Amino acid sequence: MSQAQAMNVKRRQKIDVSQEQIVLGVTAVLFAFFAIRLPGFASYGNIITLLNSVAQLGILALGAAIVVIARGIDLSQIASMAAGAVVTTVAIQSGHGIAAAMALGLMASLAVGVVNGLIIAFIEIPALFATLATNILFYGLLRGYVQKGQSIAYLPKDATSIIDLGRLRVFDIPISVLIFTVMAVLVHLLLTRTVLGRFIYAHGDNPEAARLSGVPVRPLTILEYALSAVVAYVAGILLLSTTLSVDSDIINSTMIFNVILIVVLGGVSLVGGRGGVFSVVAGTLLIGTMLNGLTIMNVNNLVADMARGAVLMAAILLDNRLHPRNEETARQGE
Amino acid sequence: MNDTAMVEPALRLRGATKLYQGTAAISDIDFDVAPGEVHALVGENGAGKSTLCKVICGAATLSAGELIYEGKKRAFDSPQDALNLGIAMVYQETSLVPTMTAAQNIHLGREPMFSTHKSLNIRAQHLLQSMNFSVDPKALVSTLGTAKRQMVEITRAIYFGARLIIFDEPSASLTPEEIQHLFLLIEDLRRRGVAVIYISHALEEALSIADRITVLRDGRKVRTVRASETTRDEIVRMMVGREVARTRASERRIRDRGELVLSVDNVVSGTMVRNMTFKVFAGQVTTIAGLVGSGRTEIAKVIAGAMKRRRLRGGTIKLDNRPVRYRVPTQGVRDGIVYVTEDRKMDGFFETMSISENIYLGYLAGQRQPLLVSRKRERELARNWSDKLQIAAINRDARVIELSGGNQQKVVIAKSMVQKPKLVIFDEPTRGVDVGAIEEIHKLIGKLADEGVAVLVISSYLPEVLSVSDRILVARGGRIVEQFDASAATEEKIMFAAIH
Repeated sequence: MSQAQAMNVKRRQKIDVSQEQIVLGVTAVLFAFFAIRLPGFASYGNIITLLNSVAQLGILALGAAIVVIARGIDLSQIASMAAGAVVTTVAIQSGHGIAAAMALGLMASLAVGVVNGLIIAFIEIPALFATLATNILFYGLLRGYVQKGQSIAYLPKDATSIIDLGRLRVFDIPISVLIFTVMAVLVHLLLTRTVLGRFIYAHGDNPEAARLSGVPVRPLTILEYALSAVVAYVAGILLLSTTLSVDSDIINSTMIFNVILIVVLGGVSLVGGRGGVFSVVAGTLLIGTMLNGLTIMNVNNLVADMARGAVLMAAILLDNRLHPRNEETARQGE
Repeated sequence: MNDTAMVEPALRLRGATKLYQGTAAISDIDFDVAPGEVHALVGENGAGKSTLCKVICGAATLSAGELIYEGKKRAFDSPQDALNLGIAMVYQETSLVPTMTAAQNIHLGREPMFSTHKSLNIRAQHLLQSMNFSVDPKALVSTLGTAKRQMVEITRAIYFGARLIIFDEPSASLTPEEIQHLFLLIEDLRRRGVAVIYISHALEEALSIADRITVLRDGRKVRTVRASETTRDEIVRMMVGREVARTRASERRIRDRGELVLSVDNVVSGTMVRNMTFKVFAGQVTTIAGLVGSGRTEIAKVIAGAMKRRRLRGGTIKLDNRPVRYRVPTQGVRDGIVYVTEDRKMDGFFETMSISENIYLGYLAGQRQPLLVSRKRERELARNWSDKLQIAAINRDARVIELSGGNQQKVVIAKSMVQKPKLVIFDEPTRGVDVGAIEEIHKLIGKLADEGVAVLVISSYLPEVLSVSDRILVARGGRIVEQFDASAATEEKIMFAAIH
C-alpha cells in the first residue's frame, strides 16, 4: 500500500513539474496544425500580429497571477486598468502636463488595488466578492464623476509622447510585445528573487501558517492587490497609446475572464502557492495561437467563444486533478 | 465474559485492531455491549476511544479481528451502512443542519417520498413526545440550545431505528441540569432495549450512568469492570497505570527557575479561556497538562497573538514585565514569542516548498529583512538545522509533504527556532510523530531550556509531561487548577486534577 502511495506521489509530482510544459506542448501542436493548414500562419508578420494581439492580456495576467498565487483573485483588475487610462486622459484634456496626468492615473489605479486590499485584509471579505464590488463601484465613479457620464475618453492630439509610444517599434517588434517582455522579467524577478515574492508564495500556500510564522499577512495582502493594480495601470497606458482612446465600458466586458483564463491555463493554481511567470507566458501563447488561428480560419465568433470556454474548463479540470483542494489533501493524509 | 452469557450481546468485537500507516491506533480489543446496557468507554486522549467508535459506526474498517453485530459478522463500508443496520452515533458537536427545522433534521436522509411540512412536523412531534422531549419540531436547529439539539439528534437516531447508539462526549458542553436530563434520556433508551456506548472524560458520569466500564490505554484494553464494583481511584489508576519507573521525574535534574519571562494574569478569551493565570520562567520547561478542550491551545494562541483576548477585563499578559497585547502573530514573533502549532498539516508548514525554503521562510518572517532572497543564507540555515535536528531526508530540496511525521515536525520546529525566540510554545510537540523522533524532540526541548530559553509545552500525553517538564500546570475548564514541581508530580495526581 505504501508503495502504491509512493508511486502516486511520484506520478503527481511528475505532472506537477511539467504543467507549463503541457500547455507549451499543446501550443506547439496547435501552432504546427495551423501552420500546415493555413498558408501564411507561420510567417514573421503573423507571429508578430499574434503576439501583439495577446500582449495586452498577457500583461494583465502577470498582475492577476501575483494575486492568484497568493490564493486571492482580482476581478476588478480591468477597473484598475481603465481608472489609470481614463484619469490620465481626462487630466490631459483638462490641461495637466503628461507626467502629472500619468501620475494621477497611477494614483487612480492604485486606489482600486489598495481599497481591494484593505477590504480583503481587514474586513476579511472573500476576494471574489470584494473585488466584484469594487469593480462595479469604480466603474460608476469613473463614468459618473470623472467622465461626467461619457463612456469614451479621447486622447488629445497634443499628447505626442503617449501617441509616439504606441507607434514605437524596435526591430519591427511592437511596443506592446516589448512591454509584455519587460513586465514578465520584472514580475519573475519579484516572485523568485525577493523576500516579498517568497511571502506571496507562502501566503498562497498556507495563509494560517504564514500568519503564525510572523509574516505580516495584512500589509502583504494590500501590497498584492496594489501590485496587481500597478500592472493593470501599465496595461492601461499601453491601451491608451495604441488605441488613442479609452472606453470605460471595457470594465463590463469579458476581458477579465480572458485574463483569468490565461492565468489558470498556464498552471497558476487557484489553490494558491503554485505557478509563476512561465505559466502565464505559456497560457498567453496558447490563447494567442488559438485565437489567431481561429480568426484566420474565419471561424464564427461564437465558435471561438466555445473553444475558449472548453479550454478554460479543461485547464480547471487539470488544475483540480493536480492540486486537490486542501481539505481533500488533508483527508487523504489521514 | 461471564456477564454477557446471560444476554446475547448486540455488538461484539474480537481482537479488534486498526492500523494507521503501520502504527496501531487500537490493537487486540475485545469489547461487547448488550441490548439495554450502557457501556462506558474511558481513557486518556489518544487511548483509542474514537478509533474504536469509528470502527463500530462504520467510519473505519478493522485491519484485523472481527465485528459481530446481532449475531452476524459484519464489515461496514460506510457510516450509512452501519446506520441502515441500526447503529447510530451522537456526536459531541452535533451533526445537524442548523438552517433546517428540527422536524426536517429528524427526517433528513429518510424523507418519505411524498410529504408536506405539516406531515413531517406531525410525525416529528409524535416521536419527540413519545420520548418526552419538549422540542418544537418547527424550530430551526440554529435556535436550539445544545441540550435540545442532542434531543433532536437522539430522536433522529430512534427514527432511523437505531438499536445501538454511541454517545461521544455528550456532556462536554452541557450544564449540570442538562446532564441530568441527558441521563434520564439514556435511562429511557436503556428501558427500550437500546444498547448504548458512552464515551466520556468525566469519570463520575461514567460511574453513575454505566452498567459496565471499559478502560483503554495506549490502544489496548486494560480491563472491563462493573460500574457498581469499582471506584474512581481504581479507574484513574487503570487509565494511567504505566510502568512507574519510566514516569518518575526524580531521576532527572529539575531545572531551577530563571528570570520571569511571561506572566499571564486573569486572561479571558472566548468561552474556552476563563481567568487563566500562570507564569513562565527562563531556562525551564513549564508544561500545561490537561484534557482537550481545557483552553490550553487557546491561551497559547492568545499569548502568541494568533487569537484575541477579551478587550475589556480580558486580563493582562506581561512579557519581561512589560504588558503586551498583540493584534497579530507578527508582533509576537518580533518580540521573541514563537508558537509551534499542534496541527502541522493545517497551519504548520508550506507544502509546496522544500525543507530549506520552509526554514528560510521562518527566518525571513522573523525579523526585518533585506529586500532580496539570499540563496546562500538559505542553504546555510537548512544545512545547520537539518544537522542539529537530524532531519532525515534524501536531500534538503525534498518537499516537506513527502517527509515522515517526525521529520515534518522537526522542519516546523526548525522554522520557528531560526527566529531566535526567548519564549517557545510547543503545542502537542510529538503528536503523530514516530517513537525515535519523540525522543529527539524531547531532547531538543530540554536543550532549549538549558540554553536559557523559556519553554512552554502543552501536552495531553502524561508520560511526555513527566519526562520533559520542570514545572507542571494542570488546566481544566479554562483555568489553571493545580501546579506541581516535576519532582512531586505523578500521573495519578495530574489526572486527578485534570478531570472533575
